Amino acid sequence: MLLLNAIVQFLSEPAFILGLVALVGLMVLRKSVSEVVTGTLKTVLGFLIFTAGAGIIVNALIPFSTMFTAAFHLTGIVAEDNSLVAAVQISLGTVTASIMVCSFLINVFLARVTRYKYIFLTGHMMFSFAGTMAIVLDLMKISGWKAILIGSVIEGVSMVLFPALSQSSVRKVMNTDEANADTVAFGSVAKTDTVAFGSVAKTDTVAFGFWGSSWISLWGWVGGKFGNKSESTEDMKVPKSLGFLKDMAILMSIVMLVLYVVTTFFVKAADMAKISGGQNPYLFSVIQALTFTAGILVLLQGVRMFLAEIVPAFKGISEKIVPGAIPALDVPVFYGYAPIAVTIGFLATLFGSLLVIPFSRWLPVTVLPSVIGLFFMGGAVGVFGNARGGRRGAIIGGILFGITWTLMIAFAYPLINLSKYNISGLWFASPDAIIVAVVMRLVGKLFGV
Amino acid sequence: MKVITVCGMGLGTSLILLMEVQSIAAKHGFDVSGEATDLGSALGRKCDFFVASSEIASQLASKNALIVGIKNIIDKNEIENKIVPVMQAIADKRGE
Repeated sequence: MLLLNAIVQFLSEPAFILGLVALVGLMVLRKSVSEVVTGTLKTVLGFLIFTAGAGIIVNALIPFSTMFTAAFHLTGIVAEDNSLVAAVQISLGTVTASIMVCSFLINVFLARVTRYKYIFLTGHMMFSFAGTMAIVLDLMKISGWKAILIGSVIEGVSMVLFPALSQSSVRKVMNTDEANADTVAFGSVAKTDTVAFGSVAKTDTVAFGFWGSSWISLWGWVGGKFGNKSESTEDMKVPKSLGFLKDMAILMSIVMLVLYVVTTFFVKAADMAKISGGQNPYLFSVIQALTFTAGILVLLQGVRMFLAEIVPAFKGISEKIVPGAIPALDVPVFYGYAPIAVTIGFLATLFGSLLVIPFSRWLPVTVLPSVIGLFFMGGAVGVFGNARGGRRGAIIGGILFGITWTLMIAFAYPLINLSKYNISGLWFASPDAIIVAVVMRLVGKLFGV
Repeated sequence: MKVITVCGMGLGTSLILLMEVQSIAAKHGFDVSGEATDLGSALGRKCDFFVASSEIASQLASKNALIVGIKNIIDKNEIENKIVPVMQAIADKRGE
C-alpha cells in the first residue's frame, strides 16, 4: 500500500512521467547506460525549466493586463499555447503528460491499421494540444483517467486527421519544384505520367504536423482563387535588412516593447504609479516587455530539452511499428519551397490581424499581435497561397488568414475561461486545437457539461 | 565532433534535422554528438559545424565553425551530399 501510494505520488509529477517516457524510449532504442541516464535527467530538468519559464511569462503579463484594461477598458490577450499550457502544469500536469504519451500510442495504432500513415512528430505541438485537452476537459468537470482517455483519443485522432486534411495542399506546395520536371518530360505523354505519378509518391514522404494546418491550407486555397500561380513571390525582391525577422527573440522583443510602451502612454499617471510600484512607468514597461520575451526564451529552452529526448524516442518507436510511416513535421519544413513568400505571408498576416484591432470594442476580447503564431502561420500561408496563386495568393491569403484567425480567437474566447487558473492576458493560438476545443465545448453544452 | 542544428524556435525542424544528420553520420561512420537550438541561442555557440535551412543559415555567422545551409530540409540526399564532405574534412583535420 505504501509502495502503491509512492508510485501514485511519483506519477502525479508530470516531470517524472515524461522522464519515464524518455527512459523507456532510450532503452527501447538500445542506448548506452550513460545516454539513458543523461537523457532521462535532461527530460526532467527540461520540464522543470519549462514550467519556470511560464512563471516568468505570467508574472510579466499580470501588470500588462491591468494596464491594458485601465487604458482602453478592454481585455487584451496574447495568443500563445506553450506558455498557457506551461502555466497550468501545476494542476493539470499529470493529465497533460499522460494525454501526450497515450495520444502518441493511438496515433501509432491508427497509422498501423488504417491507410493514413501519418506519424505526428512535432513534439511541442503534441504537448500543447494535450494541455488544451486537459484544460477543456477540466472546465467540463472531467478529470482523472476519464480525461486522459477522452483527451488521448481526441488528440490521437487529430494527429492523423489534420495531416490528412491538408495533404492535398502539401502536395501543391511541394509540386512547385517537380513542375519543372513535368515540362522537361512533356515530349511523350506516357513519360509525363510516370513523372507525375512518381512525384505524387515522392511528395508523400512528408505531411503537415502543425496545429495551424487546416486554417493555413484553407486560406492558402482561398488566396489561390484570387491569384495567378505563374507570378511567383520568389521573383520578388525583399530587402536584405528584413533578415532580422528570422530571429524570433528580436521580433518578439520589438512587438512586446511597442505593446507595453503604447499601452503605458494611455494609462492615467496615478494608476500607472500603482501598477509600477513607483518606478518610472516607461522603464517599468520596457523591463516587463523584455521580461516577457525572456520568459518565452526560458520556456522554449525547457521544451527543447525535453523534446530532444522524447521526439527521437517517438520516432524510433513509430518506425519500428509502422512500415511506410509518413512523418508529419513542423511548419518550417515548407518554408524552403518559397522563402520570400514566408516574409510576404508574415507581413500580410500581421496586417490582417491589425485590421481587426480597431473593432475590438465590439468583440469579446482584444487579440494583441501574437508574434509566434503570426510569424510561423503567416509564413506558411504565404507559401501555401503562393503555391496556388502566386504573389497575390500569398498576400490575399495572408491578410484573410490574419483577419479570420484573430476573429476565431476573439469569438471562441468566452467558451474557454481561464480565470480559474489565475491566468490573465494569455489564450490559445492554434486554430486546429481551437476548432476541436470549441466543438468539445458545444457538444458538452448539449449534454449539460 | 559536434553539430548544432538551427531553426526559428529550435523545437521542431532543427530536431528533425539533427536526427537526420546523426543518422547520416552513423551511416558513414562518423561519431557526431549534437544539439538542436534556435537562431538566437546558436550565435556564439561552439561546435564543429552548424546545419540549418538556407534562410536561417544566412543569418548565422561563425568564425570557427562551418555553416551548412540546406535548401530543402526534407531532402535527405541534399543533406547527405552537403554534410558528408564537411564531416570528412573535420575528421581529416583532426587526423581521425
